Amino acid sequence: MFTLPELIEEDVLELDGALGDLVTKSEATAALILDIGGFLIAQHGKMEGFDYTTIGALASASFAATQAMAGLVSETNFSSIYQQGESYSLLLNSIDGQCLLAVIFRAQISVGVIKYYASGTITRIGVQLTRARERSPDGGYDLSSLNLADPSELFRKKED
Amino acid sequence: MAIINQATKELQVKIVYYGPAKCGKTTNLEQVHSNVKVASPENKGKMVSLATSSDRTLFFDFLPIEAMAIKGFKTKFQLYTVPGQVIYNTTRQLVLRGVDGIVFVADSQYDKMAENVESFQNLTDNLKSLKMNLNDIPYVLQYNKRDLPNVAPVEYMDFLLNNREVQVPAFTGSASKSEGVFESLNMITRLLLNKFINESARK
Repeated sequence: MFTLPELIEEDVLELDGALGDLVTKSEATAALILDIGGFLIAQHGKMEGFDYTTIGALASASFAATQAMAGLVSETNFSSIYQQGESYSLLLNSIDGQCLLAVIFRAQISVGVIKYYASGTITRIGVQLTRARERSPDGGYDLSSLNLADPSELFRKKED
Repeated sequence: MAIINQATKELQVKIVYYGPAKCGKTTNLEQVHSNVKVASPENKGKMVSLATSSDRTLFFDFLPIEAMAIKGFKTKFQLYTVPGQVIYNTTRQLVLRGVDGIVFVADSQYDKMAENVESFQNLTDNLKSLKMNLNDIPYVLQYNKRDLPNVAPVEYMDFLLNNREVQVPAFTGSASKSEGVFESLNMITRLLLNKFINESARK
């Protein structure tokens, strides 16, 4: 099962546009699309010196841990987690079970505003990812099965 | 840090399985979970695997087991694995917090030696970042996947991974066939409990 479909320019533009709209309308600091394995697929917004690669890996781990906890108390309907900070807060939402939307926003901004705009963004991203999967059902990647320390299988020469 | 509850006579220890990606850490825990003999079913907890859709460990695998390891003390073992891939280094640091003993699982295939060495170095670095030192923590080595064709000799793996001032116990194994799994676990348990008994005697 590929967690990430093969994305073409049209997809990337749409994902970037969706994140851009979310950041503009909600005044969030940054919005990220993560593969469920924690890999950063797209990002929009200010860097603010944040390490988004590490945030991505930890966000997906945290999401998985909270989802497992929810499962242990028989909660099957689990789609988001919210970390409330004093400077910055973070909202994580499942997009389609394979990807996550992470929104980082200043603590002064209400989480309700972020949730409101994020729901539209999730739908928009979900539609585009579905389109990409349908376009190329056998194309795609499971980034978590690639060991980035050993990229030897990433690019392979065509057989003669 | 082992948690000792004198009131309930309980000892709680945390063992972490560390090693490069795809070396067999999760397989070790699965084998323990499937094959361990316990006095009663409640002594063996549920194995929690936080993994991606392709079964690669994302955060950790967790298996709690209880045993009467020291007379008068109920010992709760918490077995964890870390994700092996480079991107999850911060995650590995989180899992290492409060570790009491380590099973370093190395992949015996020749072409994995660089990854083994890198992962071992990463372990020492991560412990340092947690203000811990591998010299103070009991650990054992498991040279896994000995059933595969292109494995390095044990002496060579010892040279690469077991050449510190004090040599530690090293076991060959094939975790998928449960070989070496219980040997490694029993040895780390023995080292841990000896450390606990020695430290208790000094107090």
